[in-house]
Amino acid sequence: MTLLRISDLKTQFPTPDGIVRAVDTIDLSIGERETLGLIGETGCGKTVLGLTLMRLLQSSTKTEGTIIYKGTNLLKISEAEMRRIRGEEIAMILQNPTTSLNPVMRVGGQIAEAIRLHQGLSKRDAKEKAIEMLDAVRIPSPSIRVNEYPHEFSGGMKQRVMIAMGLACNPSLIIADEPTKGLDVTIKSQIMKLLKEVTEERAMLIITHDLGVARELCDRIALMYAGELVEYATTGEIFEDPLHPYTRGFLGSLPSNGLVPIPGMSPSLINLPDGCRFHPRCGHATELCRRKHPDMIEIEDGHFVRCFHA
Amino acid sequence: MIEGRKILGSIGLGILTIFVIVAVFAPYIAPHDPHQMYRPMEHPSSSHLLGTNDIGNDILSEIVYGTRVSLFIAFVVSVISMLVGTSLGLVAGYFDKVGFLIMRVVDVVLTIPRLPLIIVIASFIRPSIWNLIALFLIFGWTMPARIIRSEVLTLRRRYYIDATKMIGGSDFYILWRHILPNVIPLVVVQFIMEAIHVILAESGLCFLGLGDPVAMSWGMVFHYAFECPIIYVSDVWMWWMLPPGLCIVFTVLGLTFVGYALEETFNPKLKNPFGGMER
Amino acid sequence: MHQISKLAYYFVIVLIILSINFSLPRAMPGDALSYLTDPGADIPVRMTEEKREILLAYYGLDKPLSEQYITYMVGIIRGDLGWSIYYSAPVLEVILGRLKWTLILVGTSTAIYITLGILLGATSAWARGRKRDMGLLISIISISSFPSFFLGILLAIIFGIKLDIFPISGAQTAFATYSSPLEEIFDILHHLVLPAATLVLSHIGGTYFLMRNSMLGVLGEDYIMTARAKGLSERYILHKHALTNALLPIVTMTAMTVGFMIMGTIFVETVFAYPGIGNLLYNAVSYNDYPLLQGIFLFLTIAIVGANFIADMIYIRLDPRVNHE
Repeated sequence: MTLLRISDLKTQFPTPDGIVRAVDTIDLSIGERETLGLIGETGCGKTVLGLTLMRLLQSSTKTEGTIIYKGTNLLKISEAEMRRIRGEEIAMILQNPTTSLNPVMRVGGQIAEAIRLHQGLSKRDAKEKAIEMLDAVRIPSPSIRVNEYPHEFSGGMKQRVMIAMGLACNPSLIIADEPTKGLDVTIKSQIMKLLKEVTEERAMLIITHDLGVARELCDRIALMYAGELVEYATTGEIFEDPLHPYTRGFLGSLPSNGLVPIPGMSPSLINLPDGCRFHPRCGHATELCRRKHPDMIEIEDGHFVRCFHA
Repeated sequence: MIEGRKILGSIGLGILTIFVIVAVFAPYIAPHDPHQMYRPMEHPSSSHLLGTNDIGNDILSEIVYGTRVSLFIAFVVSVISMLVGTSLGLVAGYFDKVGFLIMRVVDVVLTIPRLPLIIVIASFIRPSIWNLIALFLIFGWTMPARIIRSEVLTLRRRYYIDATKMIGGSDFYILWRHILPNVIPLVVVQFIMEAIHVILAESGLCFLGLGDPVAMSWGMVFHYAFECPIIYVSDVWMWWMLPPGLCIVFTVLGLTFVGYALEETFNPKLKNPFGGMER
Repeated sequence: MHQISKLAYYFVIVLIILSINFSLPRAMPGDALSYLTDPGADIPVRMTEEKREILLAYYGLDKPLSEQYITYMVGIIRGDLGWSIYYSAPVLEVILGRLKWTLILVGTSTAIYITLGILLGATSAWARGRKRDMGLLISIISISSFPSFFLGILLAIIFGIKLDIFPISGAQTAFATYSSPLEEIFDILHHLVLPAATLVLSHIGGTYFLMRNSMLGVLGEDYIMTARAKGLSERYILHKHALTNALLPIVTMTAMTVGFMIMGTIFVETVFAYPGIGNLLYNAVSYNDYPLLQGIFLFLTIAIVGANFIADMIYIRLDPRVNHE
């Protein structure tokens, strides 16, 4: 069963330097209880894609295409209807928990406000629920911590609070943006364990640049480069049979594979190269790659790649 | 916003240019000698465009020469404040121990309310423009020193300053070549802020009768008009009080516009596409 | 700990202010107190032999400086600020007699300009870059370019003389007899309108810009995005998340602007002959009443520094982070 289907999704925003094409013609789908990993380098547009799904971008942003969630096009419904979706149906865990929690509000209040809004619980009941949630994400002595402020929590604990906040209304889909960024190894593995439990009961879109995290948690993986998808397959196939040179490069840059970086820099989303967007950094680029922009093709059943030479 | 910045900046620059020209060429622009006495309290006429005051001076000429005094005080105070403030700010940001001391002094001076202290000192000493300048200078250096220092602290953290040190650049060389050029925009903005402050404070002191009675600034012209008993009951205020008042307003406005435009240019708020509220 | 070091800091500041006040008349070139010792001095201060004796006793110029300083400090603690030459009464008594009016004026104006400044600043930030924002921005920049005395005189001429709807002088109608307390209150409010309006208009810029900047900063913060991701309404986010964060820096700066406002009364009370402390300062300057002048200086300065101190204390209480950092 498909929970979310994105087709032809484009997100662009104007800046003084030109139009940023952050998300460019993306097709994706997430099944119920499926975990999809969206992988890419910093600045490839993966966070913007997440925010587009939540319709959280500025009003100057232009979005085209369709986002069908449980049969409704999220881009067509009113702002009030969208607010009912946010938090209750789809929750987003933003990156950087330190800045994503309101510094002058108690942690419990920040978890409880969504519960009160969506489930209409009383202040007291919502607080009980918040304590439950803190307990669920393994925060010790939750009935005390619930009254504390974010600065009293460590980095890993803040991330747990963020996850508790996302889980609070029991959403069908959680979008987690870089859930393990900036955490040290021990904390990271604890958070991954927690996320693994979370993914058992619901669908999840994990946005990360960390292939290790994706391998551990995801059923399928989509690689994003310069605003578009370049490869899309099951986790097993991505790791065993990567087809796109970018994917191979990305795998090669993993510590276990010898930390070989991909040469060059990812292009600015304002001035995209002609032809294949990856060709300036690709070792196999030919004249064709320089002139023509490749389409996404299905090489095997469910394995898509955007490369002439795959 | 970008358009607005340019328009406001140009308007401000235009206003300031006019006043500077008036100040520089005052003897050629003023229709009369401001000290010459004609018939007192004359209404505006072709020979006295803004009439004459209670002792018969031509008001327009007084205002034209007043431009010199007002702008001179503001300029001198701001220039010296920036020189002293920037140097101390650079030193304080670069050398930690001296910096700590300088900043404690800055804290104290900034906490003591400026205006009451200036008023009380000004009423003890004989008012002259040099005394006023000296008074404004007591306070003028502090804000630039504080702001420049915190900027230097940020700049120091950037790697290239350590890199220069490794290849043997002296402290002075680093301050002069690497740090100073980076703080210049801040200094310019602070210069404008200080000029605004001095124009307003000087006119205020004049209004209270603490200005230099010999060097007539706009504020002094205004002060004598306010002291005149019939100022409210006739239309005299329209040519005696309004023009010097408006000169002050427009100078401040011009400076503010230029300051605003500069600040927006040097320090454009990062246009974060993720931030801000959707409506 | 934080609070104690702040307290110590402000104690030092008050000590410095007291010392400045002590040394001013004694350190001035040409001896600013020459009018006391020499009746033929060039500063024209007319007074009787008896008054001169009182003042000489207060300053104690014949005693050594250290002894003068101790006497001065003890006097301050006892509330002895000297003897006003012009009013021929203790300085503290003269000041306290005027205090009521300044408090009424500053109190009303502060309440109005803070509320208005916060509202307009938030409105502006909310409408960033659009017509409403630009309109507010330019109007407030323009109004802030007026020296407060000029603004006051313009308001007096327009609303007091041309339109004749508000009185332009004093705090109450002279020699009025009121039939009811309500009538008296109305008369006082009627006199308050123009001076308060002047103070509000000439000080609103500070709060407005602070609020606008603070709000703009907060609206770009990640936690606002988090709040929106929860599906909360814009209004709820504005009140519950944005305002509380945006108001934090305002609290501190507002108490500082109360300081500016106290200074502003010097001009506004002078323009409207409003019988408060600011007007008293103008009189003291005009009559060369140095003891009174110094007394007012001390009074105003300590009031302003006190306002800053209170601001710091409030900030510590409001922001849960301060105590921990």
